[in-house]
Amino acid sequence: MEKKKKILFIGIAGGLALMTARLILSENPDWEIVGIDSRNISDLYPIKNLTALQMKYSRGNFENLFRGHQFDAVYHLGRISHASNEQNILAKRIDLSVMGTNRILEMCERSGVEKVIILSTFHVYGALSDNPIFLTEDAPLRASIKNPELRDVVEMDQISTNWMWKNQNTISTVVLRPCNIIGTKIQNAMTKFLAGPVALSPVDYNPFFQFIHEFDMAQILYRALTKLPTGTYNVAGNDFISMREALKVVGTTGIPFPMMLAGGFNRMLKKLSIEVPAYLIDYLKYSCLISNHELKKHLGDEFHRFSIKEALDLIKLR
Amino acid sequence: MTNPASSLFLSAEDDLKINEIFRSLRERYAGYQDPWGFNIELCERSLRRLIPVYRKYFKVRVFGEENVKDHSYIVASNHSGQIPLDGMLIIIAFLIDVAPPRVLRAMVDRFMAKLPFIGDYSAQTGAILGERRNCEFLIDHGESILVFPEGLKGITKNTSEFYKLRPFSEGFYRTALQKKTPILPVCVIGAEEMYPFVFHAKSLAKFLRLPTLPLTANLIPLPSPIDIYIGPEIEIPPTLEAEASDKEVKEKVYEVEHTIKRMLIQGLKNRRPFLDLIRKPISKYVIRETKAKGAR
Repeated sequence: MEKKKKILFIGIAGGLALMTARLILSENPDWEIVGIDSRNISDLYPIKNLTALQMKYSRGNFENLFRGHQFDAVYHLGRISHASNEQNILAKRIDLSVMGTNRILEMCERSGVEKVIILSTFHVYGALSDNPIFLTEDAPLRASIKNPELRDVVEMDQISTNWMWKNQNTISTVVLRPCNIIGTKIQNAMTKFLAGPVALSPVDYNPFFQFIHEFDMAQILYRALTKLPTGTYNVAGNDFISMREALKVVGTTGIPFPMMLAGGFNRMLKKLSIEVPAYLIDYLKYSCLISNHELKKHLGDEFHRFSIKEALDLIKLR
Repeated sequence: MTNPASSLFLSAEDDLKINEIFRSLRERYAGYQDPWGFNIELCERSLRRLIPVYRKYFKVRVFGEENVKDHSYIVASNHSGQIPLDGMLIIIAFLIDVAPPRVLRAMVDRFMAKLPFIGDYSAQTGAILGERRNCEFLIDHGESILVFPEGLKGITKNTSEFYKLRPFSEGFYRTALQKKTPILPVCVIGAEEMYPFVFHAKSLAKFLRLPTLPLTANLIPLPSPIDIYIGPEIEIPPTLEAEASDKEVKEKVYEVEHTIKRMLIQGLKNRRPFLDLIRKPISKYVIRETKAKGAR
C-alpha cells in the first residue's frame, strides 16, 4: 500500500493547480494537501484534505510553513503569468518568480522534501526564425534575447534546472516545460487570445502551435509525482496546428493582419492601454514546436487524452 | 481532361503529367503533417504556373536523370544567379523530369525564414530552414534534401567570378554521415547569365541588415537556356562516423566539390549560345581548367 503523503502546492489559486490537487485527492483520498498563494483565496471552494493559505513565498512566514509540516512533495506552480509587461508587475514577477523560487528550493533542500515538481513553460525557448523542428530539452533558452521582459521566466527555469542537477542524488526534481495549456479554467494569454470574440490572424506568416488541454496537463503533473525521474521534460502532444486553422476550429473570427506591422500596432494600442504581450507577436510569426520524446519514454505514447482539435473544441465551453 | 486551374500556357501533355505526378504525391503524403507547413495543393498550383517558364522561357534540359534511384538523397548543387532561381528550377526538374517524382526540400538561409509572405510561401512549397536537425527529421521521413554547400556566397559572385565555386561548407556532409544518406551531385549551367552584370552593394547591405544586396542591370531574369546535370550518386563511407575529424570530413567534402566542378566544366563546354560577350571570361576559365586537368 502506498504511503500517505503530504504535498505542498504553491500557486493553489490557479486553475491548473486546483485541478491537479483535486485529481490527486480523488485518487488518494487520505493524502493531505496544503496550498498557498499570494493571490486572494477567500472564494476558493473548500475541498476535503486541502488547506489553502494566502501568503507570499518570498517572506518569513513561508519558512514557518516548512517547519510546521513535513512535506513529501512540493508542486511549484506559482510563477506569475508573463502576459503583462507593466513595470510594477514586472518587478513583482522577478520578486516572486525568481527570488521566490530560490526560497522555495532552499526550503525544500533544508526540510528533506523527496520530490519537487516545477512548472516552467516552453516560452523559455523563444519564438525565433531559426528554431529547429522540434526543440529538445537541451536547446538553449533564448526567449529573453528578443524579449527581455521574459527574463524572469528564463531565470526561474535556469535556477530550477541548476538546483535540480546539484541535488540530484538527494531530491528527485522534475521541471516541466509545457506547450500552450488551454482550457476553461486557464487564464493565460493564449487561451484568452483564442477564446476572444475576434483575434488577429497572421497573413504573412503561418506558424504552427502545440496545445495541451488543462485536464491532460493536470494528469501529467500528477503522474510526474511517481513516473518521472529527475530531469527536464517538454510537454506536448504529437500533433500541431497552424494559427489560422486553430482559429477556425475554435470558431473565433480571425482578422487577417500582417504581423510585420504588429510591433508598431501594439505600441499604438499600448497608448490606449490595450496591451498584447510583445512575445506573443513573435509566436504569431515563428513556430516554436517542442519534442515530446523524453516525456514519452516514461509516460508512454498515450500520455494525453485530447487531440489538439478536441482541446480547441473544449475552449468553446468558456 | 484539362485541369481548370491550369495555366493558359500549359501544354495538354504537361497538364496530364502533373495530374499523374500529384496523384502519386498525394498518396505518398497521405496522413503526413509537415511541421513547416508544406502544402501540396499550393505546390501543384505553383508548378502549373511555372512549367511554361521552365519549358519555354529557360528551355531547361535535364541530363543524367537515370542516376536518380528511388530513395532519399542529399542533393548538392552549385549555386548561381543573384536570386536563387536555380533552386526553383532543380525542384521542378525533380518533380517532372525525374522518376519517381519527388518534392526536394530546399534548405534556405535564416534570412529567408524571417521574410514576411516569402518565408511562408517558400515553407509551403517545401523549403525549410538550413539546420541539421531539420534535415535529419526529413530524411527520417523519407524526404530528399536540396542543399547549396556554397551558401549565400554562391549567389554573391561578381560577373568575373561566374561558375567559380566558393568553398563548400561541411554541414551537409556531416548530416549525410549521420543518416548514411548518399549525396547526389547536381550542377546548373546558365543561371549565372540570368543577371549578367552585377555589383554587390556590401555597405548598403550591411546598413539594411541584409545578408547580400546584388544590384543588377535587369530586374527580370534574362531567358538564359538552363542545363541541369545530375551526376551518379556519391556513396557515404560506411566506416566514417558523423563525428569524424574536420580533416577527414573536409577531404570528403572536397571530393563532392571537385565532382561538381568537373560537371560544371563539362557542362559549360556543351552550353547553348547566349550572351556570348559576357561569356568570354567564362570560356577562358573553362579552357584554363581543362588544360590544368590535362596537365594533371
